[in-house]
Amino acid sequence: MKARVIRAYIAKELIELVRSRFILMVYLLPTMIMLLFGYGIRMEVTDARALIIDNDRSFLSNRLISKFEHSRYFDVSLDTSDEADALRSIKQARTDVIIIIPESFEKRLLHGQSTQIGIYVDAAFPSRGSTIENYAKGVILDAAASLAPARSAHLITINQRSLFNQAMRDEDAIVPGLIGLVLLVAPAILSALLIVKEKERGTIFNFYASPLSKGEFLIAKLIPAFLLHSLNIFILFLWAVYVFDVPFRGSFLLYWGVSEIYLLISIAIGMLISVVTRTQIVAVVLTVIITIIPGFLYSGIIMPISSMSGISQVEAHIFPVMYYNHILYDAFLIGEGLQSGKTLSYLLILIVYAVILLGLGRLLLKKELG
Amino acid sequence: MNRIFWTIVAKELLAFIRSWQLVLVVLYSFTVNVYISGSGIEIKPRNVAVGYVDYTGGGISQKILSKLHAPEFLPPRRFVSQEALSRAIYDKEIIVGIVFGPDFEKNWRRGEKSSLNVLLDATAASQAYTTLSYLQNIVLELSRSGMSVDIASHKLFNPNADNHTFMALTELLSVTTMLCVILTAVVFVREKEQGTWDIMLLMPVDPKLIILAKSFSQVLIILSGVVISLGFIVLGVFSTPLNGSFWAFALLTFFYIWASAGIGLFIAAIARDVMQVAQLSILVMMPLIFLSGAWTPIYAMHPALQALSLFSPLRYYIEGTESIFYRGTEWIDLWPYFLGVILVGGLMYWIGFRKIGRLF
Amino acid sequence: MEYLSVENVTVSYGIHVAIRDATFRADGGEIIGFIGADGSGKSSLMHAIAGVGNFSGSVRFNGIGYRSAKEAEPLKPLCAFMPQGIGLVLYEMLSVEEHLDFFADIRAIKPDSDFLAYRQRLLRMAGLDKFTARRAGDLTGGMMQKLSLICTLLHRPRLLILDEPTTGVDPLSRIELWEILDQIRREEGTIILVSTAYMQEAARMDRLLLFDAGEIIASGTATELLETVRPMCYLPTPGSGGVRTFDATYSLQPLDIPHAEPTLEALFFVNALKNNRLLPPVTLSGEEKIPFSDDVVMEARGLTKRFGDFVANDRIDLNLRRGEILGLLGANGAGKTTFIKMLLGLHPIDGGELFLLGKPVRNAHDRRTLKASIGYVSQHFALYGDMTVRENLLYFAAIRRIPSQEALEKTARYALELGFSEYLDEMPSQLPLGINQRFSLAAALLHDPHVLFLDEPTSGVDAIARAQFWQLLIALKEKWKIAILITTHYMSEAEYCDRIVLLRDGAKVADDTLERFYAAHPDAETFEDIFLEYYR
Repeated sequence: MKARVIRAYIAKELIELVRSRFILMVYLLPTMIMLLFGYGIRMEVTDARALIIDNDRSFLSNRLISKFEHSRYFDVSLDTSDEADALRSIKQARTDVIIIIPESFEKRLLHGQSTQIGIYVDAAFPSRGSTIENYAKGVILDAAASLAPARSAHLITINQRSLFNQAMRDEDAIVPGLIGLVLLVAPAILSALLIVKEKERGTIFNFYASPLSKGEFLIAKLIPAFLLHSLNIFILFLWAVYVFDVPFRGSFLLYWGVSEIYLLISIAIGMLISVVTRTQIVAVVLTVIITIIPGFLYSGIIMPISSMSGISQVEAHIFPVMYYNHILYDAFLIGEGLQSGKTLSYLLILIVYAVILLGLGRLLLKKELG
Repeated sequence: MNRIFWTIVAKELLAFIRSWQLVLVVLYSFTVNVYISGSGIEIKPRNVAVGYVDYTGGGISQKILSKLHAPEFLPPRRFVSQEALSRAIYDKEIIVGIVFGPDFEKNWRRGEKSSLNVLLDATAASQAYTTLSYLQNIVLELSRSGMSVDIASHKLFNPNADNHTFMALTELLSVTTMLCVILTAVVFVREKEQGTWDIMLLMPVDPKLIILAKSFSQVLIILSGVVISLGFIVLGVFSTPLNGSFWAFALLTFFYIWASAGIGLFIAAIARDVMQVAQLSILVMMPLIFLSGAWTPIYAMHPALQALSLFSPLRYYIEGTESIFYRGTEWIDLWPYFLGVILVGGLMYWIGFRKIGRLF
Repeated sequence: MEYLSVENVTVSYGIHVAIRDATFRADGGEIIGFIGADGSGKSSLMHAIAGVGNFSGSVRFNGIGYRSAKEAEPLKPLCAFMPQGIGLVLYEMLSVEEHLDFFADIRAIKPDSDFLAYRQRLLRMAGLDKFTARRAGDLTGGMMQKLSLICTLLHRPRLLILDEPTTGVDPLSRIELWEILDQIRREEGTIILVSTAYMQEAARMDRLLLFDAGEIIASGTATELLETVRPMCYLPTPGSGGVRTFDATYSLQPLDIPHAEPTLEALFFVNALKNNRLLPPVTLSGEEKIPFSDDVVMEARGLTKRFGDFVANDRIDLNLRRGEILGLLGANGAGKTTFIKMLLGLHPIDGGELFLLGKPVRNAHDRRTLKASIGYVSQHFALYGDMTVRENLLYFAAIRRIPSQEALEKTARYALELGFSEYLDEMPSQLPLGINQRFSLAAALLHDPHVLFLDEPTSGVDAIARAQFWQLLIALKEKWKIAILITTHYMSEAEYCDRIVLLRDGAKVADDTLERFYAAHPDAETFEDIFLEYYR
């Protein structure tokens, strides 16, 4: 190893990063994604705009309406107009759900006849639509149960215990996953530009003509990105724990260690892109496209991997995000650490990833004109 | 005048096509990438892994479990003890664990209150939420066997709450934004980097025409990308319903792309090289996409953010697109989206145009 | 004794063979010059020897033999390579000093007093000792070139490969550079391979390899090579047959006129004659251009340009007349490029007044109306790298509102006259510097401008194309009375200018006709001697 050469490259990269102000990106981007998404993504739907058409105007229908009014999930407006108008208002996206209480709702209910309440949900945003639908059903069934107390003999209550996230806070569920996303995207963008930039400008000749080996060149190029982003591991931790109040139950050492390995992987992904592309613009777009989407989809933020089917399940196992996020959620919310065999095996898988990707970069890098 | 405009457009298109790697990446972004985001995810609970421990003889417990069927739930897995169930939840193999206590059935038969213990892996909060409400509904329905309130629930516009089409469409809009901003900015910044900027300045052509032609060339590229993506992926593979007018969408997209190009111009005016373009566009686009309501509904945002979101042209574009595709909103009712995209987008393009114009 | 032996080296790109079966040997302390037309394979051979490009054949340097770029690794610590192109190996964001530190580090040079003294000497030689804090991105082309060069020399390599190192470098620095190279090879027995387009430089080398169409067609000392063409060189005589340039007539058939002393340029012409590849004579077709009626085309009064505290141009008065070729000469960093850019409006004017074609130029609007009458070739002569040469030219023609038919004709004609016809459908980035330069010129001439601003248009262009280019300039001047402002580092080209202005440290130090310069310096044999008088 030529320590001095590597040092020289590191110093050069740092000067360039600072003077080109790219350094701002290194620290601004992760924090920005974290804050925007951490505050921004809400799985829970509150204040859904419900339009209730009450065709009965009875005591019971009023009780039902007041159940909706008291729910924090709904923001109710009453409408006596006809259904066509209501439909139009949903088409104009001014209403999320229409609930129609039929005529003689009270009468039929008291006579034990069946009656039907209509729910029309705007499912243009499907997950939101389903959630609202479930809430509305819940409110109605709950109301029905309490409206007819005599009949509810066989009542089952649910003792629900949420593991790891008692308060069911969105933050706890999302923020650790965001760390996995951020540490995939930001370092990859940085390292994707490092080599292709030299190819585009011609300074790569300095490497071609120098006694530096390919491995040394890669090490020299990647160390600055690695060191700069290592700091982000701590910064993101602080955001998670102190701004979003996510509990941290595991070992910090494990968190740190596995994050550094993960960092190596994302930097190696960027480097691979940098090695195969010819222009910076291609490198940037490619990196953003192939990191953000899988980073988000397979992070477990939106959906647990166990619920994925077929190809998605396979894809999730190909992208390293899943393994890292498993350990991450464990470190924050569960705290089992290496005692769990799964954590240990995932850690090993991550190490194998890092080794393979770095090796691949070394293999594909050319030290002569193409 | 016309000939110069088209010459510049042709030149930029040629430069784009010559960079085969870029063509491939753009095509990938509009097709495979949109496909992956559409196929990969399902936000409503689906295949939720349920595990249970049954200390009763089975009967009512099996009745409840039988209601947990596909596609929402995987066939429930039986565990011998609560410990084994917990371990599986810890390893994320099971998301919902149900424990039927020894007294459960007895109490229910006697008409007393019986209770069910449910363990939820709340790190998957959204799954946990919806699963819980599913369970609640199942149990409620079971309890009120004599009650007669039917719920006729209709999901309008997307009856199966099919998330594939929605995710694919959202990704298409995000890709459109990103590529349009970056490509437009790069068209200018590449000239700065390669030293052809001076040559461009010395052409006896009105700078306005150069800027317009250059941005128009990128608008064309993005527009073709949108058409390809729409044809092959969104409408092709995913058969997304297009309840509204295709031309309304095309027109809205056209205006929106100009707005994105305006952001690109602004970035091009500030950035000195492609590296800075990358940096600035990501920094600008993140909040833009966030404020659009793609991730979280606007009315659920902090009021300050709600106000800010009025300045995101993407907000109008996404809402408009949802309305056109799913709600099938008529032209007349689309005016707020068109107005928003044209006003905010026009403002953005004008600012970008002025900013880069100063460099000429 | 050190040696470099190159055997049967062939470099090809796809079906195109850049250099075929190149074989030569060099001994320690030798300087070998690579000369030949643009695109004749000089650079490709250099890439192969330096181990940065793939090749077939074998190279042996002392004990190290290699048959591919991969096997060349052991050579790298001993070798230094400077590729062709301006500022190619520099990092824009790094200052001059940081470059030297960086290259010292990657070459693991001990920072002892010897090295520091050597480093200082290199800096002084390059005239960069005053600019150590300046970022490479802010240097002028010539300065970039010199910085690249001294970065290459820093670790005193045993094998030094320089691809057109002096393109765009002023004569003073060139003399210094050669002193250094001479010293290195004498003291350390370094083998130096240099390609150059300056024939005066070539004449000083120990041995020359003459390249043509991908082959080495001759080798020997300059004197030996000159002897081979002596019988074909005659004094320039009009109407005598053969091919006439400004200073000689060449003919393969014996002519009945006196012989002239051959120069290395003769090699190019004789070789081209033998292969029947000479460029056609320049013709100016089309109707007589109506020239701008006033005599003074451009007038600058006290033009000043500052960058922070640094005064790049200090109150320069200059005028340019119709039908005049004005040479603007000066060392690198003297302010030539800044001045031209100010005339073009690429830099705002910080002081003084400017009149172009009789109109005062104050703002952007004033300029826009003038752009159609101006032609410009920049030092970096960058045209669009992602369009072919032909597409580039047609693009510029269309932008200049030249009818398609006329544009096609002009493109074809300039391609023929300036000798880039065979490259019309290639990408500029794949072409040698000299070819790029030629079609940049064509692009600047397409719209028949009234006034031409040419910033080192001939740097790195081979002898034949340069002669052709000057014939074209002189024809433009004489027939169409176009005014031309040109900067160059070929002092031989100064001889073709009507008037010469010398800049030094941003100020004008001389402004006179060629005759009067010679009259004032009776001892001078060439203009280079006069030039050096002003800068010593």
